[in-house]
Amino acid sequence: MSSVVDPFNKFSYMESGSQRQHFSPYADNGGSVVAIAGEDYAIIAADTRLSSGFSIYTREQSKLFQLSEKTILGCSGCWCDTLTLTRVLDARMQMYYHEHQKLMETPAVAQMLSTMLYYKRFFPYYVSNILAGLDGEGKGCVYSYDPIGHCEKSYFRAGGSAGALLQPLLDNQIGFHNMEKVTVAPVPVEKALAILKDGFISAAERDIYTGDSILIKIITKDGIKDESFQLRKD
Amino acid sequence: MSILAYNGGAIIAMKGKNCVAIASDKRFGIQAQTLSCNFDKIFEMGPHLYIALPGLATDTQTVQQKLKFRLNLYELRENRRIHPKAFASMVSNLLYERRFGPFFVEPVIAGLDPKTFEPFVCNLDLIGCPNIPEDFVVGGTCSEQLYGMCEALWKPDLLPDELFETISQALLNAVDRDAMSGWGARVYIIEKDKIVVKELKTRMD
Amino acid sequence: MACGTPHDMFSANPLWHNGPIPGGFYNFPGSKTAPLYSGAQRFHTPVTTGTSVLAIKCDGGVVIAADILGSYGSLARFRDLHRVHKINENTVLGVSGDYADFQHLQQIIEQKVISEQCLDDGFALKPRSLLCWLTRHLYYRRSRYDPLWTNFIVGGIQDGQPFLGTVDKLGTAYEDDHIATGYGAYIALPVMRDELAKAKQSGQPISKEDACKVLERCMTVLFFRDARSFPKYEMITLTEEGYEHHGTKTVKANWEIAHMVKGY
Repeated sequence: MSSVVDPFNKFSYMESGSQRQHFSPYADNGGSVVAIAGEDYAIIAADTRLSSGFSIYTREQSKLFQLSEKTILGCSGCWCDTLTLTRVLDARMQMYYHEHQKLMETPAVAQMLSTMLYYKRFFPYYVSNILAGLDGEGKGCVYSYDPIGHCEKSYFRAGGSAGALLQPLLDNQIGFHNMEKVTVAPVPVEKALAILKDGFISAAERDIYTGDSILIKIITKDGIKDESFQLRKD
Repeated sequence: MSILAYNGGAIIAMKGKNCVAIASDKRFGIQAQTLSCNFDKIFEMGPHLYIALPGLATDTQTVQQKLKFRLNLYELRENRRIHPKAFASMVSNLLYERRFGPFFVEPVIAGLDPKTFEPFVCNLDLIGCPNIPEDFVVGGTCSEQLYGMCEALWKPDLLPDELFETISQALLNAVDRDAMSGWGARVYIIEKDKIVVKELKTRMD
Repeated sequence: MACGTPHDMFSANPLWHNGPIPGGFYNFPGSKTAPLYSGAQRFHTPVTTGTSVLAIKCDGGVVIAADILGSYGSLARFRDLHRVHKINENTVLGVSGDYADFQHLQQIIEQKVISEQCLDDGFALKPRSLLCWLTRHLYYRRSRYDPLWTNFIVGGIQDGQPFLGTVDKLGTAYEDDHIATGYGAYIALPVMRDELAKAKQSGQPISKEDACKVLERCMTVLFFRDARSFPKYEMITLTEEGYEHHGTKTVKANWEIAHMVKGY
């Protein structure tokens, strides 16, 4: 035993005293994010539970970060990395604004985020990111990332602790996978919202890191609308 | 990686109104390499009783044979069909006998009561801890995906054809998000007077 | 082997040294997520430690409490160690974890406060700014693999509103209207949440006096169940009326019933 209390091990009865503690720079603080893009809108939602192991830190932590009037980032995973990443991201957004005298568009933000994540390739931000917004033509778009910056564009994506529970449901209900005799078309915003809420209710049943409530942000050309929805709190 | 995820596979069983369904994929592989697209994981244990054994393929077959043996002895001794609950206990006992060197299977049982035709679903962990819920059970390498689908799609008192649609959609969309499951699927719809077996066409990638 | 799949006589050779095996799974990021610059890991272990700190928001302010024990492993070594500190007129700081790490930060914070006073511009360090600074500092230290083994609760008044936030040794920070560190998170937090939910139901924010009573109860329960706790604790309130130190209180334990506890 490496004891600080008793460096010469004179008093063996003190063995239960100060002991070397394990240190990991990462924590899993849970949380789930879902984003759905339509013709002229993008929705992004995240649960508001911040937890670690079996304890809930807080029941009302927003995991959505507004980067511009048309772009919102949803983060889950290691919360201290999320805080740092979004802080640097905000700074980079401002630097871009002052350099170019215009707001960064969603595809550009998406590329920048990928670069920023890969910059820390060998000591990554342990964050599952989903970026939602409107592109230059006003169409909805969703970008999802792995912790080291792999980026994929899609129309719907679930990530975080309940990502595996939510994604097949979105494939089925939004992507019309394994359906016959259906016309594959972008879903209207009301339907997307309903599926999203149903998905979160289901995820909260089985995933202890998802729950309490969800915060939904609906991005359209007219601005961003907030909505919240209660989930189970146990 | 866990030995339970060496061969891959996906199982669901669901209760409906006076019926139950049990479904599985048909893949047999070693890690990421697919070897067969016609591997049975569901076994008939009576006229209204089925068991699925996802997990390590060699144990799937061994446990199936051991169970069949014990079931035959039971039916000879008792001269009657086994109740699904009693069968679940039998599986639990068999697995717990190997508490410290387990069979790497997580069985799923579906059936109807031989007298009342009450639906019954059950799953057990690899050392035989049973779970008998009121709705559905899942097993295999994509259980997270299956839970997500089942929680969203299942509702009480599904009729046989609705139950077939629900269980099929749940299985298909779940296995499509798991690299170790899929490559064909089979669904059993168990009713009082008939059992329908349906083969599902799936993505083969 | 770096990739999770064990290499044996039945599997193919890896594609490259320590690389993925054909038909096998590549385990990302592998068992080692830590940066690979090995050598001696420099992080120390907590030596003189403080246990839980509790805090809740009340009507127009915050209440914060912590016992006054500095533990040395299981030894109750320093019995008059103050763990709730006044930073300035609108900020208090509670600390649990390694006390030496806290004292290191305390010096820096005190210098910051003095520097701000020297500017004489009428502005002072606000609680949210302090929490933000602490978060950055702790995150910086965890990223250097040299963490400060502490957990802070920052309370105060920010722009006329009660403020309560916390940050741990990794830089995990959040705000809430009730926070507890250490064993308090398991033992006291449910009690605090219950009381605040009751207050919320009545439609009125919990009064300062009631908040103090809740924390008194929590400190008592913690003294009963947390082996590293102490009967003497201090409680501090910070409201619009100002900072108030309620003195060192003592848990009123009833040992009359001790003989009834049997069966261990």
